[in-house]
Amino acid sequence: MELTMKKSKRLSKKLNSKQVKNIGLTKGSINVPYVIQAIEAPNEAMRNFLFTLGCYEGEHVTIISKLSLNYVISIKDARYSIDEDLAKAIII
Amino acid sequence: MKIALTGNPNSGKTTLFNAVTGKLEHVGNWAGVTVAKKEGQIRKALSQKNKDVVVVDLPGAYSMSPFTSEESITKDYVQKENPDVIINIVDATNLSRSLFFTTQLLSLNIPVVVALNKSDLTQKKKNHIDVKKLSEQLKCPVVETISTKSSHNGLDKLIETVMAVEGNKQISPFNESINESVKEEVEASDKRRYEFVKEIVKASEFKNNSNEKEYLQDRVDRIIANKYLGIPIFALVMWTVFSISQTYLGPFLADLFVGWIDQFYGLIESAMGDSVTPVLKSILLDGIIGGVGAVVGFLPLIMVLFFLLALLEDVGYMARVAVVMDRYFKKVGLSGKSIIPMVIGTGCAIPGVMATRTIKNDRQRRTTAMLTPFMPCGAKLPVIALFAGVFFNDAAWVGTLMYFVAIGIIILGALIVVRITGEKDAKSFFIMELPEYRVPNLKRAFISMFARGKAFIVKAGTIILLCNAAVQIMQSFTWKFDVVLEGAESTSILASLASPFAFILIPLGFGVWQLAAAAITGFIAKENVVGTLAVVYGITNFIDTEELALISGTSEVAHVMGLTSVAALSYLMFNLFTPPCFAAIGAMNSEMDSKKWLFAGIGFQFGMGYVVSFLTYQIGTWITTGSPGAGFIPGLAVVLTLVSLVVYLMYKGNRIAEEKLLTA
Repeated sequence: MELTMKKSKRLSKKLNSKQVKNIGLTKGSINVPYVIQAIEAPNEAMRNFLFTLGCYEGEHVTIISKLSLNYVISIKDARYSIDEDLAKAIII
Repeated sequence: MKIALTGNPNSGKTTLFNAVTGKLEHVGNWAGVTVAKKEGQIRKALSQKNKDVVVVDLPGAYSMSPFTSEESITKDYVQKENPDVIINIVDATNLSRSLFFTTQLLSLNIPVVVALNKSDLTQKKKNHIDVKKLSEQLKCPVVETISTKSSHNGLDKLIETVMAVEGNKQISPFNESINESVKEEVEASDKRRYEFVKEIVKASEFKNNSNEKEYLQDRVDRIIANKYLGIPIFALVMWTVFSISQTYLGPFLADLFVGWIDQFYGLIESAMGDSVTPVLKSILLDGIIGGVGAVVGFLPLIMVLFFLLALLEDVGYMARVAVVMDRYFKKVGLSGKSIIPMVIGTGCAIPGVMATRTIKNDRQRRTTAMLTPFMPCGAKLPVIALFAGVFFNDAAWVGTLMYFVAIGIIILGALIVVRITGEKDAKSFFIMELPEYRVPNLKRAFISMFARGKAFIVKAGTIILLCNAAVQIMQSFTWKFDVVLEGAESTSILASLASPFAFILIPLGFGVWQLAAAAITGFIAKENVVGTLAVVYGITNFIDTEELALISGTSEVAHVMGLTSVAALSYLMFNLFTPPCFAAIGAMNSEMDSKKWLFAGIGFQFGMGYVVSFLTYQIGTWITTGSPGAGFIPGLAVVLTLVSLVVYLMYKGNRIAEEKLLTA
């Protein structure tokens, strides 16, 4: 049991190292349009909600500015303020 | 005929609703102002021959798959209530997002008319939308509207079109038959839906300005929502609002107003002459006119405040406040969205508590519903203004202090709740749409002010009038229904009912039955505190008509009440920070949707009010006189019991949190 857990941990590490070129939105630069690679929000409801705003893989997102630990982003034609955790979940 | 108004949040549904029905529902420039369904008859000028046309305003939604509870209201309505026509309000500045929902609405086989709202803003941005093309592609009529304008706003044409399509079938431009229960299929289909929308937008929208670059409003946001400047700017804005309404313009208008009330009092008094018995006379004059007048006298102050708050809401500042507060609120387990119910709560706690619906997380929503009533609401303002004026010469700092004490209590309360529930390590996400700034519309602010002022007067003329009459009667008679003799006031019904409560309040510095009675009537409506005080102390009005001072005979009123300044502050805090009025408790009940939370919340509010007043009175008395005030030891015992209960619950909650960490 413990062994399989360790195994799976190692496996997930490997997977992470493979995805290294994909970074969270927090690492992005201001005023550069990025293509969203994936949404890694842990709960599905949030993922679906982001989808209805037009925030899903293949779509564009631009960071307009960073304000007091919040990120102002532009998706489609609207401005949203999101917090750091959510910005980390948007993989670009 | 029933017309449903649907569309994305902040697309202008309620503004359009108000324009076509003549109603005065609350509007604001941010997403999520409307959280409940509202119905209204269409204005006669618009309805033509068709007499019975009902328009239903629904909360905003981004799609047919609801995220928060107010979005499901919209979904349920259009799916189950069979409206005859759906008006889909589309924000013309954000076609590509809005049309996703539109294509879903079009597949319900109910005739849809698209109102392309904010069409003035697209023109300003030098963008162009080909309405005819859009209409062809969507297979439904599209009408350009500007619902914020009072004429040439396209609303006549919109309603005309709606009448014309009634009874028609609706062709859906995007059709796919999929198995709704298979998640992957739904997801793939939704993506194709978005692609379909993109094609439509590409063909009908011509843009000169993209939204992805930085505009003036983004630069403004950098200052307003700045890491360091955000809070001071918010504090300054609120202080300005309260000093205008409570120190300058408000009292000036109140003076004029109270003059009229005084004249009315005199008029009635002379009209009655000597033919009326003294008891009836005092019920009518001191109980009803005096009590209600004391409350209504504060109306101008409150209206000025409402006017300024309406302007703030219209500008688009509220969404920014949420962003600024998010990082602080996150530390205590709430989200920035919790600030919006609290700001609305400065008007009235009931819509404030209802606004918690836009918060997705259950614990955050319930905690916000429990803490929002701590915010001083419009009904508490007369109480603040009265005490600030009578016991503290400067009205502005007392009022401002009360708001900051409220914020402090809310933060402390949130901290305690998140620890008791054992969710201090829970993660939550924050997302808030930032609407574009706009010049506030004075007319709308006036409308909002008068609507709230009217509600205040209605309340004063019903609940408060009845309460004051009842208080006056209970004060005038003994249990044997004899008239209370002068000098034997403590034999009255009111005194005997309120005295046991007064006993509990001794450690807080105001253990007299008059003040206890006023605090109790405050649970029916907070304005009653002022009304009851006026009645039990026989003060006809609190506002001086001759000098430009808020309160007449300041020292005289203070003397009659027999309170020290410290005890007065303690009494004020007790009234502000104990549970709100019953109506607000009702709202808490429906939003929390859990009896356990409701009772815990009320208990917490009582405990908090008691502890805060105790500390204010005892520490204040210690500082001013060098020794603690009356009832220090029993009061301390109560306070320590309450505090240890909370500490024990927090300890238990922490254990739950640790277990969660271990199992995770």
